[in-house]
Amino acid sequence: MTNQSTHSEFYHALTIDSNMCTGCTNCMRVCPTEAIRIRQGKAVLNKNKCVDCGECCRVCPVKAIYIKHDDFSEILKYRYRIALVPAVFIGQFSQQIRVSEIYACMKELGFTHIYEVEHGVGLVTEAYRNYMEQQAPKTYISPFCPAVVRLIQVRFPSLIPNIIHIKVPLDFAAYTIIGRLCAAGIKREEIGVFYLTPCAAKIASVKSPVEGEKSEIAGVINMDIMYNKVRQILINKPAAVDPINHTLRGIDVLYGLSGGEAMHYAGRCFAIDGMKNVIEFLEQLENDKIQDVDFIELRACDQSCAGGVLTSANRFLAIERLKNRAKHIDTLNKTRSLPSPCVNKQFLESLKSNIDIPEIKPRNMLPIGNNMQESMALLEQMKQLEASLPGVHCGLCGAPTCHAFAEDVVLGMAETNDCVFNIRQDPKTMAADSEIWGIDKYFEL
Amino acid sequence: MITETFHIAGGNFSNAGEASSRVKKILKQLGVDQCSIKRTVVAMYEAEVNIVAHAWEGNMKVEIDSEKIRITGTDKGPGIADIEKAMQAGFSTASQQVREMGFGAGMGLPNIKNNTDFLDIKSTPGIGTTLIMINYFAGHDKPKHT
Repeated sequence: MTNQSTHSEFYHALTIDSNMCTGCTNCMRVCPTEAIRIRQGKAVLNKNKCVDCGECCRVCPVKAIYIKHDDFSEILKYRYRIALVPAVFIGQFSQQIRVSEIYACMKELGFTHIYEVEHGVGLVTEAYRNYMEQQAPKTYISPFCPAVVRLIQVRFPSLIPNIIHIKVPLDFAAYTIIGRLCAAGIKREEIGVFYLTPCAAKIASVKSPVEGEKSEIAGVINMDIMYNKVRQILINKPAAVDPINHTLRGIDVLYGLSGGEAMHYAGRCFAIDGMKNVIEFLEQLENDKIQDVDFIELRACDQSCAGGVLTSANRFLAIERLKNRAKHIDTLNKTRSLPSPCVNKQFLESLKSNIDIPEIKPRNMLPIGNNMQESMALLEQMKQLEASLPGVHCGLCGAPTCHAFAEDVVLGMAETNDCVFNIRQDPKTMAADSEIWGIDKYFEL
Repeated sequence: MITETFHIAGGNFSNAGEASSRVKKILKQLGVDQCSIKRTVVAMYEAEVNIVAHAWEGNMKVEIDSEKIRITGTDKGPGIADIEKAMQAGFSTASQQVREMGFGAGMGLPNIKNNTDFLDIKSTPGIGTTLIMINYFAGHDKPKHT
């Protein structure tokens, strides 16, 4: 028994449909936390290691990995149905389709209110600035991307104190719109807030935020599903135009893109996207090799949310559209006075008392044994076994690398005979195989 | 007891830090406390950079048991003429070229001292330097006789 199973499990939106899975190993090879194995010809997810980045979902050739979300009919349970829309959703459509048309379609689908997530940006950046000024200088990490927060919990627990423990624009926006409706005399239980998500990690963070917290968000709808529904309406008939009553600034629209956060703060700020780049940076930050950096924005997806696994448009076209929209909004704002997003002082105070993320707990999955003695013995066994493995990383044993396989074997989750080089020791097959691989790839001869 | 030996090539700054990263991974897998991991990795990285910056080549031998980690760095190189002076913050013999790469600020040895429970340096000018660092993990106090 090892400590791999002693933690309570993360909620995961990523789901593998084993009827569809062909066991092709694509997902297993790209998983940045080595959370996937092949068993009985199907991909199996280790829920304690998965951080919901969605890389597996992207590479699945048969769409066997999907992202569980709430049924659209869920919204009908509420009298007031609010869609919380991230700007990236607008980026999915071509420039010819106006934002007001898109929103009109969503209302036709059943939403009573559309509210943009980025309305929370002004308050969030102000809160982050205060947070960083009040505490000791260090390299602060944005909590924006939930896959990154989980990655830090699982692989870099020593960096948890660097995470800004303040909620993200999504929470601020949900709180604001609910507060506004309640102030107008609507009962809380009649309000259902639904978030349109570009990725799996955001769903997981809404469903199980951090220990002991409950999200204000009633449900999550996958962005691709909403995109298809809206496109369907747009094709069949010209949509009614819904006037937009937003108070966004251009800079708000860019928040979900790479650099969208880093541009808000003074000092040395970096924007890093893509899981591989994020891991490399955290590794060096943890080693103290990167110093005197004030703020880092880390996003699991290449090109941040524009590259989210549930987006439909090419990420670069989506970025172009959002940049144009930001410019357009800034031009408009020059000719009108922008109403403050929160005029009610009392509300602002209640918001401020609600913005802290209470505690982000380490979910360290790295120690391989229950105690030092056991870990040491296991590690020694692993080292010996690994030295005898071929190092081809063929994946035929069902593990992504020979190293991961060695770990599985010492933890009792695989057997040495699962290695194809070990079983193909018949002189005839060896003669043929060694033409390709060389004789030294085989176990002791 | 876990034993690993890493070869460090002199002058190869782009690889400096590889050995300490590997050791970090081992310590994490063993479940060593975060504070000890951090101190060890910082000290070992500095020692690696010292070999890269000053010596021709060297080895770092790492021995881990359930109480402590002992790292022995041995290099062939010019050695340290005055160890006491080298221990002072800001003292550096690094060349201009090395400084331009962001190394050689004279914080190496002082930083190692700050991040180790036990440090011993022996050096013969013209031959090389041997450096022993020991860190005790949380819950295992440093023995008095060292």
